[in-house]
Amino acid sequence: MTFWGRCLLAWRFTRRELVAGELTVLGLALLVAVAAMSSVAFFSDRVERALTDHASQLLAADLVLNSPEPAPAAIRAEAQRRGLTQAENISFPSMVFANGQAALATYKAVSDNYPLRGEISVRLAEGGVMSGALHPLPGTAWADARLISRLKLKLGDALEVGNTRLTLAGEILREPDGTLDLYNFVPRLMFNRADLAATGLVQPGSRLRWRLMLAGDSAAVAGFRVWLEPQLKSGMRLESVEEARPEIRTALERARRFLGLTAMLTVALAAAAVGMAVRRYLARHWQPVAVLRCLGLSANEVWGLFAGLFLLLGLLAGGLGTLAGYALQSGLMQLAQQWVGGLLPAPGRLPWLSGPLSALVLLLGLALPPLLSLRQVPPLAVLRDELRPSPPGRLAPLAAVAALLALTAWQVGDLTLAGWLFGGLAGFLAAVGLVAFVAVWLMRRLPTGVGVGWRFGIANMARRPWLAVIQIVALSVGLMALLTLTVVRGDLIAAWQQSVPADAPNKFAINIQPAQIEPFRGSFVGHALPAPELSPMVRARLTAINGHPVRPSSYASEQAQRLAEREFNLSWRAALPTGNRVSAGQWWGERAKPQFSVEQGLAETLGIRLGNSLTFTIGGTPYEARVTSLRKVSWDSFRVNFFVVAPPAWFADQPASYITSFRLAPADEDFVNQLVAQFPNVTVIDVSAILAEVRAMVDQLSRAVEALFVLALAAGVLVLWAALASTRDERLFDVGLMRALGASRRQVRSVVLAELMWLGALTGLMAALGATAIGAIAAVKLFNLPLFVNPWLLPLGVISGMLVVGLAGWPLVRRVTRSAPAAVLRAL
Amino acid sequence: MSAVGIAKQVEFHGESLSILRSASLTLYEGESVAIVGASGSGKSTLLSLLAGLDHPSAGEVALFGQSLTRLSEDDRARLRRDKVGFVFQNFQLMPQLTALENVMLPLELAGRRDAREAARAMLERVGLGQRLQHYPRHLSGGEQQRVALARAFVIEPLLLFADEPTGNLDPATGRQIIDLLFQLNAEQGTALVLVTHDAELAGRCDAIYRLVDGKLNGAGR
Repeated sequence: MTFWGRCLLAWRFTRRELVAGELTVLGLALLVAVAAMSSVAFFSDRVERALTDHASQLLAADLVLNSPEPAPAAIRAEAQRRGLTQAENISFPSMVFANGQAALATYKAVSDNYPLRGEISVRLAEGGVMSGALHPLPGTAWADARLISRLKLKLGDALEVGNTRLTLAGEILREPDGTLDLYNFVPRLMFNRADLAATGLVQPGSRLRWRLMLAGDSAAVAGFRVWLEPQLKSGMRLESVEEARPEIRTALERARRFLGLTAMLTVALAAAAVGMAVRRYLARHWQPVAVLRCLGLSANEVWGLFAGLFLLLGLLAGGLGTLAGYALQSGLMQLAQQWVGGLLPAPGRLPWLSGPLSALVLLLGLALPPLLSLRQVPPLAVLRDELRPSPPGRLAPLAAVAALLALTAWQVGDLTLAGWLFGGLAGFLAAVGLVAFVAVWLMRRLPTGVGVGWRFGIANMARRPWLAVIQIVALSVGLMALLTLTVVRGDLIAAWQQSVPADAPNKFAINIQPAQIEPFRGSFVGHALPAPELSPMVRARLTAINGHPVRPSSYASEQAQRLAEREFNLSWRAALPTGNRVSAGQWWGERAKPQFSVEQGLAETLGIRLGNSLTFTIGGTPYEARVTSLRKVSWDSFRVNFFVVAPPAWFADQPASYITSFRLAPADEDFVNQLVAQFPNVTVIDVSAILAEVRAMVDQLSRAVEALFVLALAAGVLVLWAALASTRDERLFDVGLMRALGASRRQVRSVVLAELMWLGALTGLMAALGATAIGAIAAVKLFNLPLFVNPWLLPLGVISGMLVVGLAGWPLVRRVTRSAPAAVLRAL
Repeated sequence: MSAVGIAKQVEFHGESLSILRSASLTLYEGESVAIVGASGSGKSTLLSLLAGLDHPSAGEVALFGQSLTRLSEDDRARLRRDKVGFVFQNFQLMPQLTALENVMLPLELAGRRDAREAARAMLERVGLGQRLQHYPRHLSGGEQQRVALARAFVIEPLLLFADEPTGNLDPATGRQIIDLLFQLNAEQGTALVLVTHDAELAGRCDAIYRLVDGKLNGAGR
């Protein structure tokens, strides 16, 4: 037979088998696996491109000096001397006032040549969208969509920004150097650097971040960096293209790993379906193989025919799966969008190839070993049944593991990590499998006298316990994830919100100047509201513990490094704050000498003990004293709390601003607007608005991930189908026999349904137990909530498991109950 | 039971294939007939038509005075459930059920509350009182066929269809099974349709029919 002749035969075979439905489950399982893999591949590729090819756009410069103060003149002069272009932006949170309403925004005052790199896209008042190196003109401001909707703005409206008035001239559609911090939740307002002074918002204690942006040829930038690094003072940070926004990279790397793991979960489940479908296909086809051998085809030719068939199927499913993956990744992109500011280049060529390739790797691992056994089929097998090929031996599981490991390594780009992930995944699935096995085992011991359907359901599952376990594991994992993402997530957020006391403050006001204390309290009294307690604070840096300088590098944990680097808000007061409890040492009395009281968690993280001597530097002046007490603070109370507190009068000469929290009933909401109008420099933070933003973001993230878990559930359904297909003959026999013995259609249906319902109930039970465990762990570890269990999760899980399995298995029920009893007996 | 001119044709790759041309047969209460013929002569097809497991292409079968062609699938099933027993060559026990559960099955399908007790008694009657909780795979061929006999007779059928009941057994065991079958038959006064190619076995029946070329030729009573 010629090569083309063989290809033609393989194609004809594939087409026939596809039409006959023999390859449906196999093809769908490959498709689902490829869709999962390629969606994550597209995601990673586009994000990677955004980070490498467009890194300077993410920075809006080649190098940025980030500091809490304006960059020293000497540094600017040196940059100029080296021929670097400069721009500057200053960002800080403050209130915007418009249409009689106030809202918190992150201000970004940008200098004339901002951005140095990358593009900004704005919709202008004239209606057109402009992109390029743009910035607002003096007297105008640009806002993002969130601020526009919150304040019900239209372009051309007047905005009150501190003491000045700006015209809203554009809506920001994309800005290159977005931030990744708390203020990410806060809407953005961008205006010209020239208007900053007029706002009157730059005051002692204001939380300003100055970013000196530099660009030039790479040698000049590198040379300047070498010169600058030794001069960096504490609080200053360099951001460069090489680092490409490390915080974004870390966040994206985590997202990528998580998505990769989710995809691998789907691939592992789909692989189980592929393996089962291949086995069944070959078990049904060794006789045609024997016939082909009789007709004169050599073992190699027969093998080539089937290999060709699988190859064609792999390419077909790979191609379609890649298209599905491409459609799916647009959802995942919402994850990345907020980190890279809408800057997402089109994917390259590799992800398009990865789909068909991963289908082939899966087939290589799962179909090749059983396929090889076809070569052993002798022509004589036509006559003698016992000559059917023996199932593939030890090679099969090894090849399957190798294929999955290879795909995992490809997914995460690191073999060691892939090994760990794969091991973790296998361990997780094995643990779920063990629990499922125990459940099936226990079920066999249930009382059997309840009815035919009941007993048959159990007996059919117990007849093939491992097959039942595989189905339960495959289906419950996807269902568990979906229950966690929907029910448990909602529960956790609701429980956390409920854990906040009903009378907890819902507003914070910061940046109150000393001269404003009395008028500020007075306006509360004027509105018949209780005057809030104001606490002073100064920005201070922890520079030494027991005389040893504090360096971020001397801490192992990331959290400690961040704390060692950041500025603290130091406060002073005579009495122990409400809601605080001294856990070690003693609170000071009247006219106390200089000393510190430290929050216990911070002390533990930074290794501070009672009696240690701490040095804080405020505006260049060091203040040294001993730690005389450690405090436990209830952060969830939404009261003003401080990590570090000192007795009054010690650093009262330092420029301080005041902070307070208070509770406003919804009816008094308008008071905030009046407060901001009266004190333009004061920033009022609405806790519920921030919580709503957090919630919206969590919703968005989980929706993006849900799509992947729906794929995992689909893979589980395919495992169910493959398992049902592999037991179809046995089931047809059962039903035929029952029909012969006089069972009605209804009785037959109830027997088949009973098994599906048992399977579904166990699946749902496992999923609900898993989701409950995840929720309980998250409640205790993540949210510091008391352990709680949603009693509805169990019935909900069981019902949804029964629904999924019942619906997926319904075609089988119809099929077996429709056929005539004799036909059923003959079909065997 | 009466069958008049029943025929069966099947479509096979677009061609019509005649398995049964014309078969007529009458059987009265307590009577036994044997149907003999070469393998592939259509014996099992005839049996499935007589038992209402399949539809004839032509002709009519009546059981207990009711025409099977006019009954719905479920009505025919009910008729079998209440009055007809089966014994197959391959025993056809449900592998996932114990011996006791296999015998209970037809009683449970009929909604009998005493299924367990009746099944236990029947298994004791066929000599398997010690094997109640065994699964078919743990029973010998002869024991499996005894369970099948117990399942067939537990409903006290008026009519029993037996399809080569000794076909898969060694001669000695086969003889024991046949003795048991005829004993139970006599005890319960059941009518019997026995399909076999064993002339000696056929000789124990009241009448013998021979199936040749799709035609049923009556033999001496």
